[in-house]
Amino acid sequence: MSPARTTLVAGAVVSAGTLLLAGCSGTSDTSSTSRDSINYALPANFTPNWILPIGTAAHLNTNNRSIADSLWERLVAYDGSTGKIAWNKQASLATAADFASDSKSVDITLGDRSWSDGKPITSRDVEFWFNLIKANKAEWAGYNPGKAPDNWTSFKTVDERHFTITFDQAYNSEWMLANQLSEITPLPQHVWDKTDASAKVSDADRTAAGAKKVWTYLNTAAKNISGYDKDALWKTISGPYSVKSFSTSGKVVLAANKKYDGGEKANIATVNLLPFTTADAEKNALRSGSVDYGYIEATDLDQKDRFTAQGYKVEPWSGWAITYMPYNFNNPAMGAVFKQLYARQAVQRSIDQTSLAKVIFNGTAVPGYGPVPQAQASDFVSPEQKDNPYPFSTSAAKSLLTSHGWQEKGGVMVCTEPGTGDSQCGEGVAEGTKFEMQVLSQSGSTVTDNMMSAIQSSLEKTGIKFSIKTAPVNSVLSQTPQCTSDQSVCKWQLSFFGTAGSWYFNAFPTGDSLFQTKGGSNFGNYSNPEVDKLITASTTSASSQAVRDYSAAVAKDLPVIWLPAPDYQISVVRNGLGGFSQDSLANFHPAQWKWTK
Amino acid sequence: MSAVLQTQAPTLELATGYRLSVRRFARNRLAVAGLVVVVLFLLFCFVGPLLYSTDQTHTHLTQVNLAPSGAHWLGTDAVGHDELGRLMFGGKTSLLVGLAAGLLATVIGTLWGAVAGYAGGWVDAVMMRVVDAGIAIPALFILLVVSAITTPDSLGLILILGLVSWLVPSRLVRAETLTLKSRDYVLTLRAIGGTHGRAIFRHILPNSVSTIVVAATFQVADAILLVAYVSYLGLGVQPPSTDWGGMLSAGLTAAYSGRWWLIVPPGLAIILVVCAFNAVGDGLRDAFDVRGRG
Repeated sequence: MSPARTTLVAGAVVSAGTLLLAGCSGTSDTSSTSRDSINYALPANFTPNWILPIGTAAHLNTNNRSIADSLWERLVAYDGSTGKIAWNKQASLATAADFASDSKSVDITLGDRSWSDGKPITSRDVEFWFNLIKANKAEWAGYNPGKAPDNWTSFKTVDERHFTITFDQAYNSEWMLANQLSEITPLPQHVWDKTDASAKVSDADRTAAGAKKVWTYLNTAAKNISGYDKDALWKTISGPYSVKSFSTSGKVVLAANKKYDGGEKANIATVNLLPFTTADAEKNALRSGSVDYGYIEATDLDQKDRFTAQGYKVEPWSGWAITYMPYNFNNPAMGAVFKQLYARQAVQRSIDQTSLAKVIFNGTAVPGYGPVPQAQASDFVSPEQKDNPYPFSTSAAKSLLTSHGWQEKGGVMVCTEPGTGDSQCGEGVAEGTKFEMQVLSQSGSTVTDNMMSAIQSSLEKTGIKFSIKTAPVNSVLSQTPQCTSDQSVCKWQLSFFGTAGSWYFNAFPTGDSLFQTKGGSNFGNYSNPEVDKLITASTTSASSQAVRDYSAAVAKDLPVIWLPAPDYQISVVRNGLGGFSQDSLANFHPAQWKWTK
Repeated sequence: MSAVLQTQAPTLELATGYRLSVRRFARNRLAVAGLVVVVLFLLFCFVGPLLYSTDQTHTHLTQVNLAPSGAHWLGTDAVGHDELGRLMFGGKTSLLVGLAAGLLATVIGTLWGAVAGYAGGWVDAVMMRVVDAGIAIPALFILLVVSAITTPDSLGLILILGLVSWLVPSRLVRAETLTLKSRDYVLTLRAIGGTHGRAIFRHILPNSVSTIVVAATFQVADAILLVAYVSYLGLGVQPPSTDWGGMLSAGLTAAYSGRWWLIVPPGLAIILVVCAFNAVGDGLRDAFDVRGRG
């Protein structure tokens, strides 16, 4: 027997034997958690790698941001810690934001707060952030052309604790506060405003050239992960925690900031953020009792009793998100079909979201019928979206196609009546076109695989052939970019990257990135001038009716295939750990955690 | 004339040799048991669906994760497929791909090894360095890379597995060829003007058949395992198709949920079939081994 074959055979027998025995394996509780510390499980395959509270594209991650927010508080912190997404003034450096009556400027008041070195937090620290972002906006991950900082025309300091930001036009104050001003994090200008480590602190940020140099210096310093716990640069903080250690392998230890003078003081002295290479490894750590706040997958929900018996409570963490599958409207083969509303309606009516949410997701997902998250109650969802404009019915879906010039041949719908008439296939759809489409779907999730199988099955009943190709999520994102029909990369037809939700919104759920013509994350090149107008209105109108109008229009126009929005995470939390609600904006806030018994 | 007679002699001897080999194989209980297991699994996967008909194309969300019962002998999976039917359905892919890929690898390896061994000199050196280089790269690594780039169907898997698995048989056949090419009947053929092709295909390969057959059985077992590996890692055939590795991978999420019927049947099927092919291979090797005859 060759060595390679011996290895294969032995591997198979051992692997399969292990699997066969898996059902017999037990658990052990080795819990010995101190009440002065907590072990929090980071998402599988994620390693924290950025501490600077200014995200760049290469380091954009909600967990990085949660760590940074624990060290440097935001000017206006929005979270769902009270059960509803709102301005959390306890965790903010600003105490008031007064919009002008014409909605073209805002006066902001800072609280009487200090940095950890005792120096006061002033308007200058906000101006420092403002100048850095203005001069380096292209490198800032939060930048969208036309939005902040483009729409902020001036920053005027009134005094040490008051300043005014002026806009280029009137904006919806809620959107401006929740989606734009909430991006600001006052930075310690008296420590960071220098162009290299040996330079003296100055007002370098007040010129564009100087601000670029300061930006480069800070970003270069932030790339040195092993220096996070030693570099003096990161010792001047405003948040409830400081970095005690930060391993390049992913483990982060935060220690309570004893100089913190804000409203969200740390309750637990030491926070251990633990990395895991796989969800299974994390689950095993939970079973061994070495994690206080972890997670399981939806398919494990039937093991809830096992975790409950081990001293945990299982709490789904709902996200402020929507989940969808974008169509590529520029695909040379199927783009013309996707552009027909009746065709999109037929696809949507073939998807049984209620059953998917209940069966495939074990009840840990909520059907979504439009562009506004529906897992939480909000004033943003229109009645049209809420009522599901296209309820599941494969017979109705079939009728939609047959009444528009399609005939089922060999189980697949084929266009037999091309043309632009009411009963014809529509513009650009050639005779003989088969309704066949392929999705490039995120791999690695049994739930996603099962959902795709179920969708494939129900679409087949309508006469639509749906084939599935899988790839790691990064490959999916890189292989399904915005494109024009003449580009070779435009072969993709449908894309799915929403195993944990496709899109997490800021507090105000606008669609400027997703569904506006040429929007930055409008992957499928959807374009509808009416929707564009409604999106613009939603960010400029003073009334929240504008968002509901946008919600109704997009729910009906189906720019994407709407799918159930899964919970961000099925959390498993040790009994006695409380004092917080899980933030639907998908951030974690260690300062809110406390041991209650 | 005498030369012609000499070139035919080994073929006549083969018939007697094979009868002895069959007898010797039949006396090897483990090998016969392996053969029986292989045949039973082939019947189970290819004839079974005719007797136990199930819908493996559509999902049935009202019947998910049902325990074994009279209606579903091995229960149902997470999307409502009948597990026994799925085992037959998946087994078709595993066995078909395994057999075809194993045979493809054997054919390629046999031709490569025979040509290299027969040609000798720099041709042999170059061809075998190619083999050495190929063996240095783990087949599983190549499989994962190719599977990540393309979406393999059954045919794709057969080609991929066949193209990464032929290296070992090529070495075995080359070694056999080096011995056979210096035998009198090959040398005589060359002396009377016989072509190289005739020497290889008419004399060397028929006389290497024992080595080739044994290698083929091991190749099939290896290919079934490789299919299982690739599918277990989520890079195998796509839904609604499946294979035993894919079933095992999907069932693993139920390891702590008590749904043994999603794990044990595909796991057992892989173990039994792979062990059976290996037992058959071992039996054939012993049966063809001249040292054991008597």
